[in-house]
Amino acid sequence: MSVATQLSEQKLQEQFEARIAAGDKIEVDDWMPEEYRLALIKLISMHGISEIMGALPEKEWVPKAPTLYRKLGIMAKVQDEMGHGQLLLRVAEDLLKPYGKNRGDLMIDLFEGRLKFHNVFHMETKSWGDAGLIGWLVDGSAIISQTNMLGASYGPYARALQRICAEEVFHAQHGEAIIMALAEGTPEQRELVQDALNRWWESLLFFFGPETKDTTGTSKQDVTIKYKIRVLSNEELRQSFLTKYIPRIQSLGLTVPDPTLHFDEAQQKWIYEQPNWEYFKKIQRNEGPCSQERLTLRRSSYENNAWVREALTALAN
Amino acid sequence: MEKESFYQEFEVFSKRTPTSHFQHQFSLLAPNGEIALVMAQENFMRREPVVDIWVVNRKHVHGLTQDSKQALQRLDNKDYRTTKGYGYLKKKWRHYEQGMLDEKEILSWAGGGKKDE
Repeated sequence: MSVATQLSEQKLQEQFEARIAAGDKIEVDDWMPEEYRLALIKLISMHGISEIMGALPEKEWVPKAPTLYRKLGIMAKVQDEMGHGQLLLRVAEDLLKPYGKNRGDLMIDLFEGRLKFHNVFHMETKSWGDAGLIGWLVDGSAIISQTNMLGASYGPYARALQRICAEEVFHAQHGEAIIMALAEGTPEQRELVQDALNRWWESLLFFFGPETKDTTGTSKQDVTIKYKIRVLSNEELRQSFLTKYIPRIQSLGLTVPDPTLHFDEAQQKWIYEQPNWEYFKKIQRNEGPCSQERLTLRRSSYENNAWVREALTALAN
Repeated sequence: MEKESFYQEFEVFSKRTPTSHFQHQFSLLAPNGEIALVMAQENFMRREPVVDIWVVNRKHVHGLTQDSKQALQRLDNKDYRTTKGYGYLKKKWRHYEQGMLDEKEILSWAGGGKKDE
């Protein structure tokens, strides 16, 4: 019998906390408190499923991309998102093993509303301006929230994020290239970008989640900060997003649809009009503009492709 | 208890160049080794250079437990095993007006010692 199994739960918890405090990386077979495992499962399965759900609004633009080069670019991006989903679901299902669950169960959880996907992927895309804006600002937000976890105490997640963030850089530049072309184009093209920004502004504020759980009733940021899975809070991330992107948005001659937005020197923070958090809660309940449509698409593709999984069974070693 | 599944877990390794070592990339699920190789390319090698790929079924990987890993910690008393314990020779050779044949110098002899100027 190994030493660890003889130790009391209390002792293991203390050792674990000491490892976290020392900046050690936790690996899949290491002892971990259930609170840590559950927080990781919730975070990583939601992240993984969101990558896959995020490919859906994006793939709508593959047939409609204006040039072959743009079409290839957006296809590569959609493929990356699916690849990120694969990586993250691998990390999640290794953590799920003690509960006897795998990615198939996560998919069922998604279909039955127990597993959420990111609020930004419930929204509608209306124009090519939206496709560019998503790449530029939604992927830009995703980079901010994912680099916030690059030093995560859970080794496999940190390694997955390392790969993901490297590819996200391409996604953001791909979006910037689309926006730049439109912003330097005709008045109609500039209007396309401004219109996209007007419609996506609230979603961009929603992106990082509520400041505290008082806003919406739940938030997992406290436990993830405690276990050094992430560093900054939701609001700190949003502030960092505003600092990085507001000057860029304005430099292109675009107007943020919030006249109250400004940087308060005394408080050293951005002041902005709060988005409608009641609407945010609705989106979280899968009652957003495209929630059901995208879930249906995912469900039917899961069902329509069942024969592939069955056919491969015959080839299993 | 793990559910019955036709998926198996594979660990993926790849080489960037003919002279580099195999490096662990990540894991993936596949029903067999052949499909694991295809998936490995799709999942991990969409951009970076690669000259070879291995997929290893995870059930064939023997690893250490959390406790055994602690036995890997080394005491800092092995100077006699490393060049660090022989660093004083540099001064000695200088006394005899000779250069030290250190690791940097010796490894530079690769390719017949012809240095690109």
